[in-house]
Amino acid sequence: MLHHALKAPTPCQTMMTPGVWMNKRTAVVTDHNQQLHDALHDCRAGRQTGVERIIALEGPQLLGVATRMLGRRDLAEEALQDAMVQVWRKAAQFSDASGSARGWIYAILRNRCLNILRDGKRISLLSPDELTTLQEARQRSVPAQDWEILAGASKLQTCLRGLEDQARTAILLAYVGGYSHGEIAARQDVPLGTTKSWIRRGLAFLKECLT
Amino acid sequence: MTVLPDHLTALSDDYVLGLLSESETMLFEEVMQRDPAVAAYVGDLRDRLLPLDLSASVQDLPAGFADAVQDRLGAVKQLPAAPRSHPKPANDPHRPRAWRGALAASIVALAIGFGAGWQRPLPDPVVVAVLVDDAGVPQAVVEDYGNDTATVRFVADIDVPADRSLQAWTLPSAELGATSLGVLDGARSTVLDFGDLPDPEAQQLYEVTLEPLGGSPTGRPTGPIIGKGFAALQDS
Repeated sequence: MLHHALKAPTPCQTMMTPGVWMNKRTAVVTDHNQQLHDALHDCRAGRQTGVERIIALEGPQLLGVATRMLGRRDLAEEALQDAMVQVWRKAAQFSDASGSARGWIYAILRNRCLNILRDGKRISLLSPDELTTLQEARQRSVPAQDWEILAGASKLQTCLRGLEDQARTAILLAYVGGYSHGEIAARQDVPLGTTKSWIRRGLAFLKECLT
Repeated sequence: MTVLPDHLTALSDDYVLGLLSESETMLFEEVMQRDPAVAAYVGDLRDRLLPLDLSASVQDLPAGFADAVQDRLGAVKQLPAAPRSHPKPANDPHRPRAWRGALAASIVALAIGFGAGWQRPLPDPVVVAVLVDDAGVPQAVVEDYGNDTATVRFVADIDVPADRSLQAWTLPSAELGATSLGVLDGARSTVLDFGDLPDPEAQQLYEVTLEPLGGSPTGRPTGPIIGKGFAALQDS
């Protein structure tokens, strides 16, 4: 699994020697989180350099998430730009009691991507060819066989492995691909209620396993 | 992990997975702002799922990206740290719970397609508008059923002076102008039956204003806006 995790090094991981990767990674991630946390604090204090730091620290990884979910670079860049403006706008609402700075920033980006995906008008501006390309790219975002690559070498991967295939796929389609309940049901060719209950039970199992 | 009531766990899970609609998301974020237990639960789950984000392949930012963002920041008003504190009676220790309940009930109602708490299930609304105040805080939710019936549900505590009335409005078209949907009997959930109006459309404006007792004397909104929002079409 290690080579999967290393396949796409984030800026903070590129300095690592593979042999000591796991241990160093923990320290680096913590430091990275602290830097994001400080940058958010700058934003809260009205210093625009905070946004600059977040972009420098996390921009390429965030753009990767947006590109994977939206299937198009132009939409992804738009989403990331909007998300950075939202981070600036909402910085004072971030609280240490509600998870890491990193998780908070990614959540804002993901929500922005979802709004673009669910904005019928926005998507209807695309030509039929563009729409097909986008849908195909999105479908590839959650591979049925190689799903493990999505969770990296993490506890999450171990826990996801314990799920039934349909539940795992439904959860990954939602989180990674940005698919709605309705879209997931259509893709899995089951009634909406079935999809919902797979997701509900799957997530209950995941939470138990991750605790 | 924090233990929440079942309906809040379900909403929180759907929120983190990205399965709520835009209106639901907006209301749910309001719940999180006011309820530290919900915020802690969401933050925890989010961090546990973060490896899924970190597995995306990094992409080089386009040249000038940071500058393009900086150019936009100047025009953006930053939100305050905490949601505005609403006056609470000192003798009511359950007030925060009531908040949580009203907001969560609204989201559940949106999510399941009819008004929870109404006596009879209504048909699916054609549009839903979340009315927010000038700080972006949701105050009320309007659901318009397209048959000259709408419901308005308040999700914030609105102080209506004894000599004032709340009135709901919409802007069906520039020609018709602001049209009253009805004068409300206080800031409580209300079913509005109004005269013949065109079917509601996406992006149609809805608002609630504070008017003289009995409603606007001019037939147009005259008082301060309690909340306004644009309609989102609902999938049928």
